[in-house]
Amino acid sequence: MKRRRSAGKVLLGNEAMARGIIEGGATVVASYPGTPSSEIMEAVNRIKNEHGLKIHTEWSVNEKVAFEVALTNSYLGRRSAVMMKQVGLNVAMDPFMSSAYTGVKGGFVLIAADDPGPYSSQTEQDSRYLASFAKIPVFDPCSPQEAREMVKRAFGLSEEYEIPVMVRPTTWVCHARQGVKLGRIERGNGVPTFIKDPERWAATPRFRYLLHKELNRKIREISLANNPKPVSTPGGAELAVIASGVPYAYAHDVIKAMDQEGRIALYKVDLPYPLGSKIDELVGIHPLTLILEEPYPVIEFQIRCREKVRGRLDLTIPSEGELTPDIVAKVIATILGEEVREIGELPPGGKRPSLCPGCPHRAAFWALRKALPQGIYPSDIGCYTLGLNLKAVDTCLCMGASISQAAGLYQSFKQAGLEIPPIVPTIGDSTFFHAGIPALINAVHQGACFVLLILDNGIVAMTGGQPTPTWDGPGKRMKIEEVAKGCGVDFIRVVDPYDVPLLMQLLREADQYARGREEGVALIITRHPCLIYGVRDEKREEGEIIIGEECDACGVCTKRFECPALQKGPEGKPVIATPLCTNCGVCLYVCPQGVIERR
Amino acid sequence: MDLQMVIVGLGGEGIIFITRILVEGFYRSGHPVISTETHGMAMRGGSVISQIKIGDYQSPLIRHGEADMLLGTSEVEARRNLPFLKKGGTLIMNTEGKGNQCIDATGIAHSLGNPRGGNLVLLGYALGHLAPTISLEPFLEVTKELTPERFLSGNLRALQEGWRRALKVDKGRKKGKGIRRHG
Repeated sequence: MKRRRSAGKVLLGNEAMARGIIEGGATVVASYPGTPSSEIMEAVNRIKNEHGLKIHTEWSVNEKVAFEVALTNSYLGRRSAVMMKQVGLNVAMDPFMSSAYTGVKGGFVLIAADDPGPYSSQTEQDSRYLASFAKIPVFDPCSPQEAREMVKRAFGLSEEYEIPVMVRPTTWVCHARQGVKLGRIERGNGVPTFIKDPERWAATPRFRYLLHKELNRKIREISLANNPKPVSTPGGAELAVIASGVPYAYAHDVIKAMDQEGRIALYKVDLPYPLGSKIDELVGIHPLTLILEEPYPVIEFQIRCREKVRGRLDLTIPSEGELTPDIVAKVIATILGEEVREIGELPPGGKRPSLCPGCPHRAAFWALRKALPQGIYPSDIGCYTLGLNLKAVDTCLCMGASISQAAGLYQSFKQAGLEIPPIVPTIGDSTFFHAGIPALINAVHQGACFVLLILDNGIVAMTGGQPTPTWDGPGKRMKIEEVAKGCGVDFIRVVDPYDVPLLMQLLREADQYARGREEGVALIITRHPCLIYGVRDEKREEGEIIIGEECDACGVCTKRFECPALQKGPEGKPVIATPLCTNCGVCLYVCPQGVIERR
Repeated sequence: MDLQMVIVGLGGEGIIFITRILVEGFYRSGHPVISTETHGMAMRGGSVISQIKIGDYQSPLIRHGEADMLLGTSEVEARRNLPFLKKGGTLIMNTEGKGNQCIDATGIAHSLGNPRGGNLVLLGYALGHLAPTISLEPFLEVTKELTPERFLSGNLRALQEGWRRALKVDKGRKKGKGIRRHG
């Protein structure tokens, strides 16, 4: 096998973008974790440590805060980056919109990672839409290699026009691996300079009009130079394909595999917004044009005359779900009148995700369902959304909404003069800091009464174990109890959820406080470190978990408790999958016959 | 070299780890390679999939009916994902069942004293099917770099054992016994 000297390194798309941020010379980088963007910041921190760089990096408390911290460094003439998932941009929408008007001095790059499908999100929204809404240019990389380059180009464009620039990768850029060429690491060492300019940095509405005018000028100028790049343009092509992002890569591979290069003109769009008028000329000269992009029609909407255009708006491409190479192949074959190969469908099903064996959340949900079975359980965003499987999660809207929705439930029943059921929102520690605190202050101030469960595993687990404000940092560590007290909560208890009987007792006491005596919000913090990413509790219980002979195969432990370490064995009786079992012992409280024992 | 490979299984079975070894190993052998992997919520014990394409490709996703090789760390997931496999493609599953497409990777890993090394046995077995076009060396090298010290000897043994078993099967095929291919 011949070996070739590699000029690069295999990187995950997110690592490649981290490389772009560092090679671009950023001095402040901030983020809040969210799939598929989380590994960008982890890689920035890794490269920073490996090379002893003096970049300020932070996992901020939420995306809005991250955006504002990073943006301000760019007000001072230095390069900065902020990373988040697409729904995180909803949280940062306020500064995002306004920053288009104020602009920046140093290069400012926002990476907003989209999740068509969706695989790990509440929506499959298109951040490029938000870029065009805010009048901010947006790059759309098709691969890890290109994502690294585009981050660097984005810094340049941002500085040239003094405008924030977005880079919008999708899941199959973020979580693709590829050999990536590396560039030199720039040590950003510009001196931060704040030049007072209240008409810009503190603009009142009168000056905002002028900033808007200036923004429109920048966008027009950028659009003039921004046209689809011809990749292969044979004479007499019957079809033009204009594509951006990963769909461009699909188009490239599919056209090649179909052997139809002679009949198709292929164009690539690097910057889907703002597009110049050249795209209208391209549409004009080709008999038919197919637009491939995801997840929404952003390029398509910028084409003035769409009669000869096929894409999402005329439903040639499905309006929801991920665009796949199979769909691209089918659409192109249909248009060219070639044989359409039927796509073999995957049978439905597949295993649903569930909480890990020994997960402290499972114990908390079990105790909740046992202690207050008539309750309504608003929940939130995190691993614990999987409490759905234990029927202990009734709503999941967005970060922090569990607490406001609990208040909404209370106010609704109260207003109607009805008896109020137990209302028990569950929220993780990081989500509480992210968006739960204003909701809690509001609930307490508005006199709502409910039992709040903060599931404190000490870490952001769903996204791979990022820190929370309760960790050691350059500054002070936060304590959830103290924050809650400051928000006006008087009933606060802390319990290890593995102690199911105690947690059940506390839940009933809290329900008495909140519902019986209508005294306000009662808070229980269930505290136990995450078993995957947290600090492992070395003092594990002694003895082995045994399932007694008398087991009548009722299925409560395997189906309703749903611990992956309890598997259905012969005659439907549970067997303990020893490599998975963490010996947490929670199942001892679960068995209705009491035949699960520790020996 | 032109190879499209799908690996399926459940979160926690070590699919991302063997995907990394594959991609690094092929890249170091001088092949262009692009891959995808599942992160996020689906990893919590749910169905996961990795796709690896070696050759002149720009997109990381594999079309149905085009995978040269389908690898399953679980049999149920392997069977559910059969539409990916092309006619005549190679199916390899971690299961106690009979036939060359079955390998009891979990059992072999247990007997090697590395109960969590089933993913590496499976990987070695799959790579063995590609011999002599490829050698195991670059993949051993990458495994060495990516494995924490305490699991190192166990992981290398698991990878080598899988490879060895595949070569035995291959010998059998050359004698005319015929490897069973899905198609």
